[in-house]
Amino acid sequence: MASESRRDQILAAMIRVVGRNGYKETSVADVIEEAGTSRTTFYKHFEDKHECFLAAYDMLVEQVFAEVVAKCDGAEPWLERVEKGLGTIVRLFALDPELARTAVVEVAAAGADARRRHWNAVARFTQYLEDGRELSGGEELPENISLLSAGAASGLIFDELLAGRAEQLPQLLPDLVFAMLVPYIGPSAAAEEMRRTAKAA
Amino acid sequence: MAQGTGGEKRERWRPPRGRHRLPPEVIARSQRERLLDAAVRVAAEKGYGPMTLSDLTREAGVSRTTFYELFDDKEACFLAAYDRAAEALVRRVATAFESEGEWPKRARAGLAALLEELAEEPDVARMALVDFGAAGPAAQRRHRAVLQRLTPFFDEGRDYAPGGRNLPANTSRMAIGAVAGLIGDALAEERAEDLPNLLSDVLFATLVPYIGPAAATGEVGETER
Repeated sequence: MASESRRDQILAAMIRVVGRNGYKETSVADVIEEAGTSRTTFYKHFEDKHECFLAAYDMLVEQVFAEVVAKCDGAEPWLERVEKGLGTIVRLFALDPELARTAVVEVAAAGADARRRHWNAVARFTQYLEDGRELSGGEELPENISLLSAGAASGLIFDELLAGRAEQLPQLLPDLVFAMLVPYIGPSAAAEEMRRTAKAA
Repeated sequence: MAQGTGGEKRERWRPPRGRHRLPPEVIARSQRERLLDAAVRVAAEKGYGPMTLSDLTREAGVSRTTFYELFDDKEACFLAAYDRAAEALVRRVATAFESEGEWPKRARAGLAALLEELAEEPDVARMALVDFGAAGPAAQRRHRAVLQRLTPFFDEGRDYAPGGRNLPANTSRMAIGAVAGLIGDALAEERAEDLPNLLSDVLFATLVPYIGPAAATGEVGETER
């Protein structure tokens, strides 16, 4: 549908412009220019910049998540899934630094709704990775464990992006694997996986 | 909203009105402190984005001219408020941390102090962990710098843990990210007063990359007793 794709173009433009200029600095004028569309069309689809950003963010999350799921076959062992999933994300971010900045850094500037979306996305991703985990009974791990492994990994990614090093993210993959696994399997086993990941790279 | 114009309820000391003999530095200092208080309060109330210069001068009871004598703009004022809060926070954490002996106990004391400070000062907590994002790259870089200052408290785990020296260089950043994530999550849900209840989780998050889940669970269990 023509108007459907027009809307998607605006959303894609929003993701690029915000990644390039920052959320605060982005105006509706910038977005329509990038999308090659008119102000009227913009306002036909969206109330304002914020509403458009939230829709763009939802679309971004679906895209990233679809990539991750496509790279996993669902049958791989848990450790492998963690590595594949994180690997997919860092490579995607390295190829598209604007998208990465919007996804991880600029979202923080777009208000409480946006931050909640970001956090939900991180939780959903971690949950997906965790689904493959073999439950070794009798563990008394904290309920929040996936939240904290997600926090550890996303903190590292945030730092790299803030420093403008999106392209170098794939080099961080071994560390991210360590961060994600260590709360479950401890430092020596996680370091083992980290070395394996580094060697495979 | 007409609130916040009267200064009667405010605890912070203000110089007497009219003629007085206070040295100008003292006056400027108190005005500056009031502006910083105002930045924290207004940012917490309406968010950094919508906060205006008039909000700040009205809350602080100073003129626009005075504001510009002290700060270049709203961002500079917010960043100064951020620095002041960060300084107080880091100092309190450090004092608590130093009061204990073994690293897991030191970590526990430091984290408990951190959570208490943030629970007592929810406006500061919001600014430190939520609003800094809205205040742009300069505030975000500062935020990371503060986290950096907390690094040594985490990295003592390297000396404590067997094989700790072989851990990835980024281990403290991971632990800090996990702790910040847990706290940020609670603040985003407006649960600042519940922060002290997070102690078990943040302690686990801090210890686990160094000593593993079994030992970390053990230490957490001990503190709950």
